[in-house]
Amino acid sequence: MLSAIPPGSAVASGSDTLKILIADDSDSDRLILQAMLRKQGHEVVTAVDGMDAVERFRAERPQIVLLDALMPRMDGREAARRIKALAGEALVPIIFLTSLSDAEELADCLAAGGDDFLSKPYNRIIIEAKINAFNRMRMMHATVQAQRDHIRERNEQLLLEQKTARRVFENVAHRGCLEAGNIRYLMSPLSIFNGDVLFACPKPSGGMHIFLGDFTGHGLPAAIGAMPLAEIFYGMTSKGFPIADVLREINQKLKRILPTGMFCCGAMIDMNLQLQEVEVWNGGLPAGYLIRTDGSRVRLVSDHLPLGVLPAERFSPECVRYTLLRDERVLFCSDGILEATNGNEEMFGEARLLEVLDNCDSPDKVFDELTLAVRRFTGSVESRDDISLVEVAMVPEKMLDVHQSVISTGLTGPSDWRCAYELRDETLSTFNPLPLLLHICMEAPGLRLCSGQIYTILAEMFSNALEHGILRLSSTLKGSASGFSRYYEERERRLKQVGNHFIRFELEHISQENGGRLLIACEDSGPGFDYTHQEECPQASAPYGGRGIMLLRQLCDSVVYCGSGNRIEAAFEWSFQQRSMGKH
Amino acid sequence: MAITTQRSTDGRTLTINIDGRFDFSSHQAFREAYETGENAVAEYLVDMRDTTYLDSSALGMLLLLRDYAGGDSARIRILNCNGDVRRILAISNFEQLFDIH
Amino acid sequence: MNEHTHLDDEALAELREVMDDDFSILISTFIDDSAERVSTLKKRFDAADAEAFSKAAHSFKGSCINIGAPRLGDLCLEAEQMGRSGDLTGAEDLLASIEQEFETVKTLLQPYLASA
Repeated sequence: MLSAIPPGSAVASGSDTLKILIADDSDSDRLILQAMLRKQGHEVVTAVDGMDAVERFRAERPQIVLLDALMPRMDGREAARRIKALAGEALVPIIFLTSLSDAEELADCLAAGGDDFLSKPYNRIIIEAKINAFNRMRMMHATVQAQRDHIRERNEQLLLEQKTARRVFENVAHRGCLEAGNIRYLMSPLSIFNGDVLFACPKPSGGMHIFLGDFTGHGLPAAIGAMPLAEIFYGMTSKGFPIADVLREINQKLKRILPTGMFCCGAMIDMNLQLQEVEVWNGGLPAGYLIRTDGSRVRLVSDHLPLGVLPAERFSPECVRYTLLRDERVLFCSDGILEATNGNEEMFGEARLLEVLDNCDSPDKVFDELTLAVRRFTGSVESRDDISLVEVAMVPEKMLDVHQSVISTGLTGPSDWRCAYELRDETLSTFNPLPLLLHICMEAPGLRLCSGQIYTILAEMFSNALEHGILRLSSTLKGSASGFSRYYEERERRLKQVGNHFIRFELEHISQENGGRLLIACEDSGPGFDYTHQEECPQASAPYGGRGIMLLRQLCDSVVYCGSGNRIEAAFEWSFQQRSMGKH
Repeated sequence: MAITTQRSTDGRTLTINIDGRFDFSSHQAFREAYETGENAVAEYLVDMRDTTYLDSSALGMLLLLRDYAGGDSARIRILNCNGDVRRILAISNFEQLFDIH
Repeated sequence: MNEHTHLDDEALAELREVMDDDFSILISTFIDDSAERVSTLKKRFDAADAEAFSKAAHSFKGSCINIGAPRLGDLCLEAEQMGRSGDLTGAEDLLASIEQEFETVKTLLQPYLASA
């Protein structure tokens, strides 16, 4: 909160009435000067010699001092030195009263801290002019000093506020799972004040979301926008919302709270470690790169406006999806790297970045070689603070230990319950029921320990019911790279036409000693399939993705098909001791 | 950095020329260039012939101009962008909001 | 020996205006002060302390100039310079002149004392 310079400070006392000290051993001279100054409206304090002058100055703090040069006990020069020392930072003009005519002695007075001379006989007009001139100088000095102090004080306060803000920010926008083994990044510790943000959060289904953003502007405004972004990102990701929902929410929130002209360039990555897939959304960040083990790469260009620009109805959270093999990686940077300058004011630029990528023989060296190249390029130039860089590698899920440690708390909540949840018609294409279903399950005390497994079970059942049961998509399409994208295009197309269908989940939880049993049934309105030969040959002809059913069998204690094959029932048993993934 | 403006003879078109770097320091001058206080202007031309650099706060200023000029119904053309300027506009996909030449 | 007058009437008129009711106090203060300064000068001379002699003359000169006694001020300046040269030869005559001029000034100031 900016406040004006406080009243009553040194500046305000610059009224025309001054307190002036006169030190002269000649009684008559003192009387004359005193009378003249009083006539001009000033308050006068007198002293009869140098020592007396210093004492009076200490006691009375006059604003201007008039000193006779030659005085008994302590002469004017010594008194001037002491008074200047006592005055400290304040400007107290000292005018020597003299009939000295010798240049060297006059210089001596100046060296002792004198600011001017007043010669005898005294002239009223000259005295008035000098006093006024010095008073203006004194006031100006006081103003400058008060402003300086004010600025210094404000600055200290600002630094303190920034420190506090940073602590609050770090609590909200914690780095999440950035320390996971497959993520490497470079962020300035003050990055929140240059508008760069980097978040990573594990998904309950396994894998993770990563967000790299660059707010327009600097300082507090940029940091303020980052807070709701972080809340949404962490909150929604950890509840199981898919990338598109998270992006849509972030865009809507930023659009609402940020003034026009402020927005966030950002890229979001959805790493699916089980399926070895990655989805990327880029709105306004420089192109990222997907770096393959065979030496090829894919440029991940920005194909959206930044977040916070478009209204919700025009915003597109559409991502590009790629398969990503083990050790392949995704690399993103904010414009700090491209705009890093060397001594000749040249920018690092994308050409140099590509050169580094071209000359790098292994994906796992890219990060180090790029940071080294930028450092070498900027050379002696003070390293810029706003270089933000992140790299995410595809690794087997079990290599990571990113899932939040869950504390088994008070153990209250519903432990024996049953519910059914049915989605119908268009809702099937527009609504993702997984966060809600997961939320219901997580209310059972202790079941949170297994959130990852349960999310995966729900997600597999839902996507199988939707994609195969209702949309009749064949998973064999996903076998090749071109088929992979065709599969998702087809999925989008058919989803738009879905009607008169439903997917029903039935959930039941029964508590058991030291744990519980969760029964999940999923039924769809599709025609089903012949599951009688499933057991012998799980990969053949089944509309269920081969990987999907295998995953379900791995996670659950039993998985059975019922009816015409349009219903699947799974049982998941858990106990407090058993927390690790995979049961058999 | 210097910002100059010209009005077409019928007063309906306002051309804003940006010379040098277009960044936060141009904020005030750019606003003054289009906030003419009258609504005779139907079309805005932002001439980047002499613009050497554009940063994200300049993108923000273009959005402010767009708002001022009527948001979705604004008629704004950005002309004569050099390679760097065009690159920055492209990264942010501003062609979705502006007519860029 | 000196073209300056005993008293500068113009200066005194201005002082009267500045001092108002305190004018007579100023005059009497000057007279008392000056009597002391004359005796101080004598003592310095007797002690043959040229530097102290010079300083005393310097101070005296200042108040003479301020009050409007230019001729007495000139004599003080002579004494100051003599003291500074370190040679007080002939200072006895100068002291006598100062004493005499002071007496004259004192007499001339009497009316100002009364007029207050």
